Amino acid sequence: MIDMATLLAIVLMACVTYLTRIGGYIVLRNRALSARATAVMEAAPGCVLISVIAPNFVSRNPADLAALAVTILAATRLSMLPTVVIGIASAGLLRHLLG
Amino acid sequence: MSISQAAASEAVHGRSGSEFRRGVMSCLPVLLGTVPYALVLGAQARQKGLSALELPMMTGLNFAGGSEFAAIQLWTSPPHIVLIVAITLLVNSRHLLMGAALAPFLRHLPRRKAFAALFFMCDESWALGLADARRRAGANVTPAFSLAYYMGAALAMYVAWVAFTTAGALLGPLLGNVEPYGFDMAFPAVFLVLMAGMWRGVAAARPWLVSLVVAALVYLLVPGAWYVAAGAVSGLASAWLMAGDA
Repeated sequence: MIDMATLLAIVLMACVTYLTRIGGYIVLRNRALSARATAVMEAAPGCVLISVIAPNFVSRNPADLAALAVTILAATRLSMLPTVVIGIASAGLLRHLLG
Repeated sequence: MSISQAAASEAVHGRSGSEFRRGVMSCLPVLLGTVPYALVLGAQARQKGLSALELPMMTGLNFAGGSEFAAIQLWTSPPHIVLIVAITLLVNSRHLLMGAALAPFLRHLPRRKAFAALFFMCDESWALGLADARRRAGANVTPAFSLAYYMGAALAMYVAWVAFTTAGALLGPLLGNVEPYGFDMAFPAVFLVLMAGMWRGVAAARPWLVSLVVAALVYLLVPGAWYVAAGAVSGLASAWLMAGDA
């Protein structure tokens, strides 16, 4: 069963989301960037990534902050899979011990 | 597999089938963190009154987890359409920056392919695709952006997202409270590894610090999902200003 208002909401969500996905590409597809704009674009991915996970840095749970510190340390030295495993294990363990 | 190992193995194989597989493989650690989220979203959606048919429609057509969590949080019956669409736009506005960062690497693709590839651009597939393209550009591989690698990562993410949100909607009433325990740390872990790969020294990373501080403050002080946009924009503004005195 599909409700009409639900269907409309979902379709509009999908349209808006797709527009955000192609918007940046359409605007910048055929342009050469100045040195300054290149610097901005090079910083952009890191700025978005760190902003998305910023709430983790101000968690009120000491176990979560400790696990984040462990995960940062792992990320600077190890590749993806071990870091993810260490992150999950340290969060689970520290929450259990401290939480 | 680390990105450098992946690039080395790509140099040996070099076919698009193996590129696709390399993309799927690099996405597997990410899926570890995504699956519990997907189950939780499905279960929550079911509680809010979406059917096990409506939910996969949302996750399959919209395919942007953050906005779907926000939408489900705000869901009423009937839904407040304007509110939900506005929040979706807000949460997903970071895609504009992401698409802009990816654009220089997509120049060799016909528009039709680029538009199709961008439908599957989520935080994870974008970050993996971009990190890989930068690595390959550094190693003088052309084209730097491997579409098959990106689509491998993106489709693995897409299939897992739609399948496990649906599973959550079907099983939700049976599972009760799905506490994701330590699994939520997979998400920041993936992002931190990707950022470590993008590290170009302290000076180049100053905008990241600005983003982190502003996003954290806005997260603490302003309700809603503004913190992502605020952090990203202030980091970019600082990159713009710092580029002047470099």
